[in-house]
Amino acid sequence: MTRHWLGLPIATLACSLAIAGADASRTDWNAAYPEKTAVLGLHGDAGRGAEAFVICQGCHRVGALGRADGSYPRLAGQHASVLIKQLTDVRTGRRSNPKMLPFADHQVISIQEIADIAAYLQALPVPATQGQGAGNDLARGARLYRADCAVCHGAHGEGDADKFYPRVSGQHFKYLLRENQLIRDNKRRNANPEMIGAIKNYTDADIAAVADFMSRLPVEMVKQVP
Amino acid sequence: MTGPRDLLGVLACAALLLQASPSAADAQETVKTVCAACHGADGNSTDPRYPKLAGMDQEYLMRQLKAFASGKRREETMSAIVAGIDPNDFSKLAGYYGKLKPAPGKVNDSRLAAKGKALYEDGNTDSGVPACTGCHQSDGQGNARFPRLAGQHQAYTLKQLNDYKSGRRATDPLMTTVGKRLTADEIKAVAEYVAGL
Repeated sequence: MTRHWLGLPIATLACSLAIAGADASRTDWNAAYPEKTAVLGLHGDAGRGAEAFVICQGCHRVGALGRADGSYPRLAGQHASVLIKQLTDVRTGRRSNPKMLPFADHQVISIQEIADIAAYLQALPVPATQGQGAGNDLARGARLYRADCAVCHGAHGEGDADKFYPRVSGQHFKYLLRENQLIRDNKRRNANPEMIGAIKNYTDADIAAVADFMSRLPVEMVKQVP
Repeated sequence: MTGPRDLLGVLACAALLLQASPSAADAQETVKTVCAACHGADGNSTDPRYPKLAGMDQEYLMRQLKAFASGKRREETMSAIVAGIDPNDFSKLAGYYGKLKPAPGKVNDSRLAAKGKALYEDGNTDSGVPACTGCHQSDGQGNARFPRLAGQHQAYTLKQLNDYKSGRRATDPLMTTVGKRLTADEIKAVAEYVAGL
């Protein structure tokens, strides 16, 4: 077998491009962009955040407890990093959320206020009053959670602040249900491709079971973020 | 210990006060001769087309006066009147009305008010209307950032919400969004409810 002398470098280049491409698709969901980087670099002040959050509580409710009907998620106790990513993703069009978009607009909330709100929300208490599912398929939910979800979202649903993986414990069942469907169907747009891959073959019943299981993870098992 | 610096400060303050007092008198005069015709000398207008100003936060009222002056808030009559007022008096006029005692409003249609209460406290999750309580508080008393709504004339609240909806009033991007998401029926209901707060 003869090979042209250029073959090896070209093959190498092609390979590295392919790898770079694959890497890009894996990291795009959490790509650094100037606004997000800027907010993540700011010091958030929880006291100021409480004031800035006033315009959010008409939907997310007092104490950021969200609504059991899933229309608005709980934000209390969520990692600041996750909140910053999601809010900046929404207002820069990376995450589809037409209801929230005007309220997250640049003329409404400054980047400092995003950092402040995130600091405030992260430290809020998470009472075990979240909406739960029917509770009739919890064995399946537990099996799926342990197999596919716990690796990132943690055994207790605590998430991972450094990796931008949200805390899921204490969240409303109906919100978890809807977002999992949107992520599986690739409609949320800013989801981690690893997660899309992990649940792409989930049936609606699988999603309902695992969302139900998540909504029942004991909130007290997640230590409050300092 | 008192030094020359402190004395200088006292003198400066005194000078400011002296300068301010004729303006305060002017403001009183302006209230009597200009504002009271529509808003009432006690800040509780009787004509529902004109808002009650009594008890509204001074900062909020000042922002509105500036918005009328700049054209950000459009109301031909009011803009023309504001154009004749010295902007240096805005603060005193706003302070004057802010300190007055608000008179309660009156609910005329309690069934409509009940619908308004549901919207005021819960919003509309389908259309993405936030609960009004989020910003305006459950008692509608208002503060520097968000206006007092409690006891306001139905007709006035109704017109403001419709003006946000149409884009005629553009003093707050959030309220523009809220106005656009509210239905005509919801606007009527919530205006009825806040009149009774």
